[in-house]
Amino acid sequence: MIDALLQATVNGLIAGTILAVPAIGFSAIFAVLNYPNFAIGALAAVGAYAGWLANARFGWPLEASLVAAFAGAAAAGLAAERLAMRPLEPAGALMMAIASLAAGLVLENLIRLAFGNDPRGYALPLARDLVVGGLRVGPQQLRNLGIALAIMAAVWAFLRWTRTGRAMRAVADNRDLARLRGIDPERVAMTTVAVGAGLAGFGGLLVGVDTAAEPVMGQRLVLSIFAAAVLGGLGSIPGAVAGALAIGIVEEWSVLLLNPAYRTAIAFAVILAVLTVRPAGLFGTRAD
Amino acid sequence: MSPTPNRGRRALLATTSALGAATLAAPWPTRAQPAPIRLGTLTPLTGAGGPYGPVMANTAKAVVDAVNAAGGVAGRRVELVSEDDQTNPEAGVRAARKLIDVDKVSAVIGTWASSVTTAVAPLCWESKTFLCTVSGADSITQLPHQGYLIRTQPNTTLQGRKFGEYALQLGAKRMFFMTPQTPFAQSVFTNTKAALEKGGGTAELLIYDDKKPSLRTEVDQALRFKPDIVFMGGYAPDTTVLARDLFRAGFQGKLLSYGYAVNQKVAEANAEATEGAYTMSPSPAEGSGAFKRVVEITKSATPDPYSCQVYDHVSMVLMAIAAAKDASGTAIRDTVRKVCQGGGRKVDNAVDGIRAILAGEKVDYDGASGPCDFTDLGDIVDCRFRYEQARKGRIELIRIA
Repeated sequence: MIDALLQATVNGLIAGTILAVPAIGFSAIFAVLNYPNFAIGALAAVGAYAGWLANARFGWPLEASLVAAFAGAAAAGLAAERLAMRPLEPAGALMMAIASLAAGLVLENLIRLAFGNDPRGYALPLARDLVVGGLRVGPQQLRNLGIALAIMAAVWAFLRWTRTGRAMRAVADNRDLARLRGIDPERVAMTTVAVGAGLAGFGGLLVGVDTAAEPVMGQRLVLSIFAAAVLGGLGSIPGAVAGALAIGIVEEWSVLLLNPAYRTAIAFAVILAVLTVRPAGLFGTRAD
Repeated sequence: MSPTPNRGRRALLATTSALGAATLAAPWPTRAQPAPIRLGTLTPLTGAGGPYGPVMANTAKAVVDAVNAAGGVAGRRVELVSEDDQTNPEAGVRAARKLIDVDKVSAVIGTWASSVTTAVAPLCWESKTFLCTVSGADSITQLPHQGYLIRTQPNTTLQGRKFGEYALQLGAKRMFFMTPQTPFAQSVFTNTKAALEKGGGTAELLIYDDKKPSLRTEVDQALRFKPDIVFMGGYAPDTTVLARDLFRAGFQGKLLSYGYAVNQKVAEANAEATEGAYTMSPSPAEGSGAFKRVVEITKSATPDPYSCQVYDHVSMVLMAIAAAKDASGTAIRDTVRKVCQGGGRKVDNAVDGIRAILAGEKVDYDGASGPCDFTDLGDIVDCRFRYEQARKGRIELIRIA
């Protein structure tokens, strides 16, 4: 049982690290634009397909395909923001959230129109797992883990040291003060959408590499992404990472202990428990 | 003010009344075309059933087009309305409501996932609309459907038993049965296990969440059972995840699955992970006249069983309407068995069948999916199975039995 628990923890950590990438995107968009973008799952699927095109059709290596995944998802994210969510801004965050749900459905079906319903596998060899100290880890998973960690480091550096990154943090913190300092909130908002959607695209590619790119993959991801972001504290980047790791591990543990019918309930029970003690989430500061 | 407008209005009134009178006085045929017969397809154009639904809907349309080209059913045109159930019960119910309440179809054809059929069936029998389905769950024909439902897919008791017997033939004794929650999961497992135990084998069940992007921990559970065969009981998207995780974990035993889960596209995209996987699915009646027509319609040498079944659904329903001279769901219910079983001239398509019926002949339809004979509950009497194996990314036929 201890073995099983350890293995489940390793599986959960790896799943959580990959989940953290789109969760950061989701949280960043929430922090700057103040609405939950539920198109994030579909944007991940767009990234998975863009990456698949680059990798399987045009023969790009995996790391180069990441660029395609980012660009494809960022473009789709910007289009959705401009066409669906932004026109509803005066109606409030709830309407924008609903519009993002709709935009997600449209994106998913555009993928279907372009690529059909069948799963698409990346042109990467499927490798057997390595056994280290009695625990199984896949080489591709390790590579994905490395990529996810590098992406997170890059996001952190971007937010901390670049002018645009600092502007994003300033707008998230206080929109009006940022405007007084000469920051154009509109430009920052669009940059955030592009980066957030691009991160979702990365996440989609990493999941697609692990399994396959398929139109419904966004639906599989969106609840976990949302749960991770809420758990960590909506709008907090470190929170999104911590939340994703926690959700990843709890989801794997629940397989060992419970009927899978309760898996989603478990994720929400954890959120409920954490939010009861810390209403703003693990790392959130906004709701105090 | 000029008097012209008034005169104009009077003139207009007079003309309109005259026109109205002329319309009323006209003999019946010029007054209106006979009302068309409306049928609805409710197939999964999207969701896990997405690889099948569009082909099924096209096949139904081809049958309707052929019948219309031959003059319709006793002079009445047939209209086909196609809706998407999204492989999702809620969406299926919404679409069925539209077909029944707005389009007023006589029959709903082609529901695929058992969960969708289970949700849609009550709307059909309550509104006296006939329902033809390709879903396999035992529970479906046990619903109180008052005869308004037939299915061309063998039920899961039979499928489960066949899976268990097949595993034994493959030399396997310890089966780990992995499936998402579906209306048929428990029944297939129980019957597979019973068949295995009869041959000295054993089986264990694990129900997984098909929305999970990775099934590694579930696979670890499976490996602790030390199975010599793993049954993959999901649909294509989650089976892809499962097969890959089983491969990564180094599982060396046999894989067994449904034909719709490890299909050609899944095998192609995951050649290594699905290598050697065995599948079993209800077999269409290969070589029959109806089957050859489905081959032409779908432009595929091996059309999927569901398109074959939908071809039969539309053909049987239209022949039943012709025989009953009535397009109501109740008329279809009362007549459908008279055109597809019990002897008579053998026909394998709706056009010939309708022609023979209008000439006063008794017909017995043999379809693309099989002989199409039904029990009182709505189950098919007889079915063959198609045994296949994935080899190097291709699905190869082992035998039909």
